[in-house]
Amino acid sequence: MTIATRTADDTARGPDGPWAVETHGLVKRFGDNIAVNGVELLVPRGCAFGYLGPNGAGKTTLIRMLLGLTRADAGTMALLGHPVPHDRARALARVGAIVDEPRFHGHLSGRQNLQILAAAREPAAMQRINPSLERVGILHRADDKVTKYSMGMRQRLGVAACLIGDPQLLILDEPMNGLDPAGMREMRDMILSLVAEGRTVVLSSHLLDEVERTCDAVAIVDHGHVIRQGSISELLQGAAVTLEVDCSDPSRAAALLGGTTLGARTEVAHNGLSVALPAGTSRDEIAEVNRRLVEGGVAVYRLQANQASLEEWFLQVTTRLGDPE
Amino acid sequence: MTITEGAAPLAAPPRDEPTDHRGSWLPTASMVSTRFMELRRRRGIMITIFVVMVGLPSLFLGVRLIMHLAAPKSYGPAGGADVFTSLVAGVLYVFGFIVAATLGCTAGSVDLSEGMFRHLVVTGRSRLALYLARIPAGLAIVLSMVAVGFTIVCVVCCFAAPTIENFDGAQVPAGLSKSALVAWAGSHSTEIICNLPINGPMPGNINCGPNGAVSIVKGGGGPVAGQLTKAQLSAFAERLAAANYKDYTAIFLAPPISLMVGSGLWLLLEATIGFLVGLGLGSLLGQRTVAVILMIVLEIVLTPIVSRVRIPYMINAQRAVVGIATAHLEPNGLSRVFGSGGGPNARSMLLPESTTVAVIVIVAWVVGWTALGAWRMMTRDA
Repeated sequence: MTIATRTADDTARGPDGPWAVETHGLVKRFGDNIAVNGVELLVPRGCAFGYLGPNGAGKTTLIRMLLGLTRADAGTMALLGHPVPHDRARALARVGAIVDEPRFHGHLSGRQNLQILAAAREPAAMQRINPSLERVGILHRADDKVTKYSMGMRQRLGVAACLIGDPQLLILDEPMNGLDPAGMREMRDMILSLVAEGRTVVLSSHLLDEVERTCDAVAIVDHGHVIRQGSISELLQGAAVTLEVDCSDPSRAAALLGGTTLGARTEVAHNGLSVALPAGTSRDEIAEVNRRLVEGGVAVYRLQANQASLEEWFLQVTTRLGDPE
Repeated sequence: MTITEGAAPLAAPPRDEPTDHRGSWLPTASMVSTRFMELRRRRGIMITIFVVMVGLPSLFLGVRLIMHLAAPKSYGPAGGADVFTSLVAGVLYVFGFIVAATLGCTAGSVDLSEGMFRHLVVTGRSRLALYLARIPAGLAIVLSMVAVGFTIVCVVCCFAAPTIENFDGAQVPAGLSKSALVAWAGSHSTEIICNLPINGPMPGNINCGPNGAVSIVKGGGGPVAGQLTKAQLSAFAERLAAANYKDYTAIFLAPPISLMVGSGLWLLLEATIGFLVGLGLGSLLGQRTVAVILMIVLEIVLTPIVSRVRIPYMINAQRAVVGIATAHLEPNGLSRVFGSGGGPNARSMLLPESTTVAVIVIVAWVVGWTALGAWRMMTRDA
């Protein structure tokens, strides 16, 4: 596996550089609590990037710092190659974002809310209001007051608010909140279509299944630190493999595997044996499990290797909130 | 720090940088117009402003018009200079400030409380520009409402003004020259003598009863200074009218144009101050209710008290209250601000302050609160 490393040259390229988001040593404190603790993050352009972490891990705080909604206590950051907050206006000119629950002026219609936001952007943004509303599927309700919108419709309106700026980078904080299954699927398709257009989407979420289906790469944050980042496929290769073994004598099979150097952890179930192999287990090692069982006189009817899902891997690498690190 | 091959960075799609001077502190016309739209569509506050600035004066004048039409002998004309001064100084001035401040507090706080502030910040637009866009938008609403209400008052007070002037209780024709007034006084000697201020003893055979009842009593009565003939009484009334002619010219049936212009500008100034201070306070506190309450307390409780009471060692602090300063800029024809009751001595009840100091205080309040509100908006976590 080839590893691409950030170089000083990348940083020097500024707006033409490869990174949509770049942070170094970012710190944010709330009193004694360190919400963001030296975060190093590189988000490549043109991909869907998941930013994952348990509740209270500092996901939203990092996004708020990136967008200039709150100040960082230390560190540097850049959006689309423009340093923030120094060059904030240019950095945010091509950024769209939803942070927390999208809220709007309730006494105005969706269209009027977008007009207010478009007025703060370039003149062409006004022309993008209808296409944006159409793209998120609420054009037919655009003239209804926002107070009459459901949570899902407000989420869509939030995405439309992002799109009126024709963004190169979208930062979406929990965009699936409030959406029904069909809405989540539509949102997923829309994110993928935005990425297909060459835009970058940073998705903060704890819906790991959705992130796994949507994103090319992820970063895992826990207790304010980024503890892993990379493509999903590469990260999952580093996760444990579970073998489901349907055999004639599960107890004997467990004893046989316990005496090997495979590093397997076994668990006897009512219908067979579950064997957890450490991260990095090769296909040959899986074959070795089968060979040991057969040579030990255990009839193997079925053997299936399961790669850990993103959710399982996430739980492996993160500490649960409140647990000691 | 590593990024894997699977997430290899792509070349960004070519895009032009927006050329909209987004970092400029100057708001665009589009920002102002959409902010105007946002405020104008707040039905509750718009109805309140309309009712207070247009509805109340209209209702008051309308009732007076109807009553006068129904029973002209019992109820005086709806308009006139006195009604004008009462409405301007007693209603439009105080309530104009309050509704302007309420709109200012609303404009200064609702983006934050309704969750739009972060959407606006994320656009990259200068936060100062976002703040300043609210000023012309809000002033366009509040000043137009004040202007409409004031225009209604002016129109009714001019066109429904009384035709007979009440000159210290004497019912005198309006607009007389000095010689005409003297001649009129000669033929209405008892009315003049009984009502106009006399610097000396009352003529002996005049009996001025209650409610303007007048009789000439043969043989005198009261503090007699000598019995006068009818011709002598006429001559006395003529001298009295000539001596009081200056005061007569200061009384108007309808408000003069100069007073209306001055009063209109004064009301607009007061509303502007109310809006800007409210905007700054609303932005500073980040919520509307407390800000509105504080503004009402300032206008209705604190300022009237401070305007009358002299607190030792705090005179200069009292002078720094913006309501005192604006009261000192009140046009001369109006003398009833803070319910001082009008009349020539009303101004003396106000804490003394020079016009220069009053102007400095007003400018300091407007600039200071605008700076505070803008600073808070620029530094606030969104």
